Amino acid sequence: MRRRDFLQVAVAGGLTAGLGVPAYLRRAWAQTPIKIGMPAALSGSYAQYGIQAKRAAELFSKDIKAKGILGRPVEFIYEDTGGDPAAAVRKAQKLVEKDGVKFLTGVALSSEALAVSAKCPEWKVIFMSTINGAGALTAKAFHRYFFRVNTSGPMGARAISLYLAEGPMKRFFALGSDYAWGRDSVASFTQQITAAKKDIVGTDYPPVGTKDFASYIAKIRQSKADGVYLALPGQDATIYLKQAHQFGLNREVKPIMEILELENMKAVGDAMVGAIGSSRYPFTVDTPRNKDFVKRFYEMHNVYPDMFDGETYEGLEWLAQVIQKAGTDDVEKVIDTWEDSSYEGLEGPFLMRKCDHQAVQLGFAVEAVKDPKYPHPIPKILATYPGDKVTPKCRSEDFS
Amino acid sequence: MANLAEQLLNALTLAGLLFLVSAGLSLVFGILRVVNFAHGVFYMLGAYLGFTTVAVTGWFWPALLIVPPVVGALGALVESSTLRFIYRRPPIYQLLLTFGLALILEESLRIVYGPTAKGVEPPPSLQGALSLGSLLYPRYRLFVVGLSLAVAVAVWLFLRKTRAGLVIRAVAQNSEMADCLGADVARVRTLVFGAACALAGLGGVAAAPMTTAYLGMGIGVIVDAFVVVVIGGLGSIGGSVAGSLVVGAAQTWGAFYLPETAMVIMYAVMGAILIFRPWGLFGEEE
Repeated sequence: MRRRDFLQVAVAGGLTAGLGVPAYLRRAWAQTPIKIGMPAALSGSYAQYGIQAKRAAELFSKDIKAKGILGRPVEFIYEDTGGDPAAAVRKAQKLVEKDGVKFLTGVALSSEALAVSAKCPEWKVIFMSTINGAGALTAKAFHRYFFRVNTSGPMGARAISLYLAEGPMKRFFALGSDYAWGRDSVASFTQQITAAKKDIVGTDYPPVGTKDFASYIAKIRQSKADGVYLALPGQDATIYLKQAHQFGLNREVKPIMEILELENMKAVGDAMVGAIGSSRYPFTVDTPRNKDFVKRFYEMHNVYPDMFDGETYEGLEWLAQVIQKAGTDDVEKVIDTWEDSSYEGLEGPFLMRKCDHQAVQLGFAVEAVKDPKYPHPIPKILATYPGDKVTPKCRSEDFS
Repeated sequence: MANLAEQLLNALTLAGLLFLVSAGLSLVFGILRVVNFAHGVFYMLGAYLGFTTVAVTGWFWPALLIVPPVVGALGALVESSTLRFIYRRPPIYQLLLTFGLALILEESLRIVYGPTAKGVEPPPSLQGALSLGSLLYPRYRLFVVGLSLAVAVAVWLFLRKTRAGLVIRAVAQNSEMADCLGADVARVRTLVFGAACALAGLGGVAAAPMTTAYLGMGIGVIVDAFVVVVIGGLGSIGGSVAGSLVVGAAQTWGAFYLPETAMVIMYAVMGAILIFRPWGLFGEEE
């Protein structure tokens, strides 16, 4: 092989690397089931999120098995998107056109969600987000067929900003991954923290997939910030926290996470203790419903539920209740029934706002703490904010 | 001053890790004329096996000794059972094979270890930071710099000063002639492929305490390693050292001084070098 061949092969391989990995199907049931399609990232760098959605669906499947919805069985059809928006649209289209699903959920990334959601009015199917954070989904990109059950990115940033506004920390460095969610979160945080008369002393946007944060760590240390706001996706956050700990930075500059996930706590371990942040769903919420859920989830999967395990389970349960109440799985009727309806979730009450289909719900500020009962640090709830304080104005990402 | 020293050490650490990965990639290309897309997955495998070894033995050091030979043996097995049969085919076959292997290995690791990243603690003696004048620097990073330097010297001495190294260089230069002169080319290829995988495995073990072992770390590192190899020149160990230093410096200094261009700067440097030396810094003109 000559050098030119090498370069060609290297380029070709680089292109192939972006493609997804095969999917798999579930066995179809005999009766006419209510089908829920999950075009989820089950492989690739964001598989942890797709797998959370799948775990929640598995538990929900077991729970609903006895009575079904409207007396009909519930069938989940999983498709692996690999975390790629183009693949997500393809798989979603297959679910809608070939399998005839009327409900799509379990989409892992905001980029995928924006792409899939845009097609739903044309397909006339409901897209229920239980993971996606991008504010635009219920603002600029909103349409009748989209529902967001989960806490959005701006809502998370709001919760932690409200917490910090009352705290002693004054100077903040903001580090966001160089893509929509990271930049949006940093912008949202900057706006709210400045409104609280605190200072942003530096901002940086490391590329997604950064392996070495040493340069950023040096800058954060030089900025003499009290806290560093981190909007880094799963693995990037893990690497940052690990390296910042080795540099001894976590003692000087408190990590403040846009999302404080169990995934990070498991991988980083004790070095994560003391980090604070917002949580979409902390499994430590002390309600009878949640305790029961956590126990049953653990029995089934042998792990504690992470944020999107809880949020996806709630979404599915709520959707089932809405279909039951509508008395039909007709999409238009389900939408009308869902609007302005309420639901008692695991951690508290939910209300589906009619104007932008964003579920109004509690916001949490949490801290990673050690507890001898658990094999990894767990989120301890520092503050809980009512839904109307953490939900943005209708069809917007703004609060005031 | 402390700041400059810190940036220099940061660049050296990253260069060290990149060298451990790219040296094998370059070696395999030099001897086998194969672009091994699965190379990054062997790096990832090293990190995961390192995690397992630390979890089982409770120590970090055994991982550093046990994992590279295990990964190397697996690499040799892969070469002798698959790659061997398609050397004479067009390069696209080798690409498909190694890329397929990468996918299979990565998904196997996901099935075995699950989607959660696995944290590895550095050994107690390398935890925390060392005070160098006014600079605080993590001990483990200094160790990575030292380790990769030692490996670079060892590989260079082996290739230049031993008989086996001589045979390897002969096969690299002209495999048919080496075959005629009595060198067992098939065996050299298997051993070199295995040794390259062992180096990648060592890199993975060394990286795990800094980055954790995670799915996707193989794909992430292979792109950088290709850039290193293109800059340094294919099939040259000296080139891997030089390329690693260039890429390490471009990435860390770029992120520090010109953060908005952090993504581009590495490729800009590569482009500039290719304009003036299309065969890379240490490569030979074809």
